[in-house]
Amino acid sequence: MKSAIKLKVNGDDHELLVSPNNTLLEVLREKLGLTGTKQGCDLGACGACTVLVDGESRLSCIMLAVDAVGKEIITIEGIEENGHLDPLQAAFVEKGGLQCGFCTPGMILTARSILNEEARPTEETIKRKMAGNLCRCTGYKKIVEAVMTANEQTGEGA
Amino acid sequence: MRLPKFRYMEPKSIKEASTILLDEPGAKILAGGTDILPNMKHKVELPSVVVNIKKIPELDFIRKDNGVTRIGPLTSLKKIYQNESVKAGLPALASAASSVGSYHHQNMGTIGGNICQQNRCKYFNQSQWWRSARPLCVKAGGEICHVVNREEICYSAYSGDMAPALLALNARIILESKEDSREIPLETFFSGDGKAPLNFKRGEILTEIIVPEGSSRGFSSYLKFANRESIDFPIVGTAFWASTGEKEYRVAFTAVDRRPLRGRDVENFLNGKDLSDEVREEAVSIASKAATPVKTSVYSPSYKRNIMGRLLRVAIDEVMRREG
Repeated sequence: MKSAIKLKVNGDDHELLVSPNNTLLEVLREKLGLTGTKQGCDLGACGACTVLVDGESRLSCIMLAVDAVGKEIITIEGIEENGHLDPLQAAFVEKGGLQCGFCTPGMILTARSILNEEARPTEETIKRKMAGNLCRCTGYKKIVEAVMTANEQTGEGA
Repeated sequence: MRLPKFRYMEPKSIKEASTILLDEPGAKILAGGTDILPNMKHKVELPSVVVNIKKIPELDFIRKDNGVTRIGPLTSLKKIYQNESVKAGLPALASAASSVGSYHHQNMGTIGGNICQQNRCKYFNQSQWWRSARPLCVKAGGEICHVVNREEICYSAYSGDMAPALLALNARIILESKEDSREIPLETFFSGDGKAPLNFKRGEILTEIIVPEGSSRGFSSYLKFANRESIDFPIVGTAFWASTGEKEYRVAFTAVDRRPLRGRDVENFLNGKDLSDEVREEAVSIASKAATPVKTSVYSPSYKRNIMGRLLRVAIDEVMRREG
């Protein structure tokens, strides 16, 4: 049976009619049209569907939409501030941290979650924590470089 | 992949949750969701009701009372390995938590959910389409176990990372239901039946994990051998606890049997002895005979037994190095 729920996505409140078996990923993509969040393996193994829930990374393909009520959800569409790219987005552009771009939203949001919880993590930490995000173009080196660049800039600003 | 249909409930108390479980035999608990939801997508778990227990207050905590560590089942794996007292006193628990899945799974997954995860098998953890090539296995509701080619038995392997670390730390758990509450050693919680691996009584919910005071007086470690460092279940996991002053030792293994196993033969051999190169090699040889794994994954039983011994060697070496 469908129920009406309220989700806060990228700062906006949305009233939605969802079934309990709708994942957060399905609701974001199919009901809100936020297709920046990608559907990859759909089983929680590839990281393409990563979103931020209360500032922490979550795999939206293995999270129920009804379980996200009352939480602050941020997708790749909502990470920029006042028309300015997030430092991570800018660093991915500058360093060429993407090829086909499919894994990029998940990569950026995972990196955002890591930088939210720890100021200036080491390259080793970044590699370990981002290991759950797969890039089939295998451009990992540029991705890590981009995160390190944003990491250093964040550190200088703080 | 759509999730199958179910009714969804958010109880606000243990009592309410237990009542739902008693009234609905097909109900299943949802905590972090990283185990049950992929299984539901594969249609190997089809609960009639999903009971989200995350709205029940006060199940997310790490407390230390008189040296006893008490952990709430909804504590995320990340909070466990970031907790200073766990890192310092119970390193096996911290490394087990940080070895689970990927960073995302550690954010989402809970210690209670990790302990209560379903057993795994190469014939069970597959899509409906993959499984349709042969008759349903016992665990998925059929009659035959394809691993051993026998009927009415399930040999799926318990593959959690937290349980072996907790077994080596002699942990106990509290199970609560509508009317009752009982505290049992964690070891007795595992049934050894691949189809129903946990000894829950109907209506029971895991509400607390208790690590006794004595366990933080020894050194402990958890070593996981997996195909990839991230996003993998263990091929073999070995937890080791050593109190060299009292010459007491505890060993536990995961992914080698239908339940997480204490290596009692290894412990009986080690207890009362000082660690030396000869003692270590004998323990390694006993450890590699401490279980009889079957081919539930692509790795052969003899390979798994070999790794059991090798992981114990690394663990004992670490203790010997620390002792100088």
